[in-house]
Amino acid sequence: MASVWNESLLRMIGRWGLALAMLLVLFVFSAAPLEIARLGEIRPVFMLMAVYYWTILRPALLPAPAVFAIGLVLDLLSAAPFGMNALILVLAQWLIRSQRKFLLGQSFLMIWAGFAAIATGAGLMQWGLFVMFNLTLFSAKPMLVSVVISTLLFPLFVWPLSAVHKALMTHSSPTS
Amino acid sequence: MTVGMAPALFGRALPAILMMLAVTLMALHRMNSLPVERLRVALMDTITPVLTVISAPFISFVDSIDSVTTMRSLKAENIQLQEENIRLQQWYEAALKLQAENQSFRELLNVKADPTLNFVTARVISDSGGAFVKSALLPIGIADKVQKGNAVMSGHGLVGRVTEVGQRSSRVLLITDLNSRIPVIIQNTRTKAILAGKNQDLLRLERLPTDSGITTGARIVTSGDGGQLPADLPIGTIVSSGADGVWVKPLSDINRLTYVQVVNADLDQALSDGEITPPPPSEHGNKNKL
Repeated sequence: MASVWNESLLRMIGRWGLALAMLLVLFVFSAAPLEIARLGEIRPVFMLMAVYYWTILRPALLPAPAVFAIGLVLDLLSAAPFGMNALILVLAQWLIRSQRKFLLGQSFLMIWAGFAAIATGAGLMQWGLFVMFNLTLFSAKPMLVSVVISTLLFPLFVWPLSAVHKALMTHSSPTS
Repeated sequence: MTVGMAPALFGRALPAILMMLAVTLMALHRMNSLPVERLRVALMDTITPVLTVISAPFISFVDSIDSVTTMRSLKAENIQLQEENIRLQQWYEAALKLQAENQSFRELLNVKADPTLNFVTARVISDSGGAFVKSALLPIGIADKVQKGNAVMSGHGLVGRVTEVGQRSSRVLLITDLNSRIPVIIQNTRTKAILAGKNQDLLRLERLPTDSGITTGARIVTSGDGGQLPADLPIGTIVSSGADGVWVKPLSDINRLTYVQVVNADLDQALSDGEITPPPPSEHGNKNKL
């Protein structure tokens, strides 16, 4: 009994630890001054990856207020209009959650396509809000570049994690 | 409150409530509401130390990769540096001579000394050179005598100025930001102009007199006009001038900032004192060495 309990506890720690570690890594990528040229321009979308991934697989991990808080922190760090990323992330999560049942059963390619759609929407919304906030017609090009790059990076961040996640899932229920 | 029903209903409406809250915050930020400003600064103060701790291992990881890659080019760099050192040695001698000469002229003319410059060095903790805003966050604030409006330099030249200050954190608006306007002077002709950020790597010189003889390669320094920034801080060099304007390349790599110095010039004090006498010699000497 004790060993079973230990095992499930370990698994739980593993899963939550993994989720939190991924959040942390993506957060650092979206905030810390890593000396990677032009990282800043693609930053905001890193947290969108985390929100997308965990809202599909483990929605309990990222409740809406947490997403809202992450957005506010991003706004502060990037000097964006206060509340902009919070609005975009909460709206994105709400949309993802409404499509969750559909996305859960899909192939990785479809999930990737879903992310591309969400990232494009978020990018356009960000651009629109910046234009409204500053009353200046910014070029939308950097935003489009950022959407393309982060979409290409999506498998790089998510594939290994989904593999580990699947391994943990199968390990946790050997009978099924 | 009815338990059971309320949380479910609340849970469903929660995203909508949060989105409305976000829109309200944005509107208040747009209107420069003071409470929201205070909230932002307070949050900035809270986040800054946390972020410093979290990002430390990642930064050292990236740094170590960087040191491995630079190791390979070490030999070539060494030769180049030795040559440069010989050249700079000659410049150093020249600078010493000029400094002494300058000092004696100043004494002869009884010139009011330039305000003392104090430097505080910090590592950038978040350089969100985002697609639409160019800014950086520093882990120093009022406690370190950072003030709103202070100039921020990297090793080579001006990179921005402080726009928000908290107790232990401050925000820098980079010179590449669309909202950045710096009063400058073209060093060789002493022509005054405004250096405007354009959300790209190059900056544009605006408000230039029509007959200003622009030459590419000319150095751009701060003019000190407006009393916000000290005069003669280097910023960049003119790289092109044509129908689309005069463009300036910053001396520092604004996209890859690591350590920066906040320059506190005590300008306000100098203005309000209006005294001819320079500051006490002991303090003066110490600060100049920094």
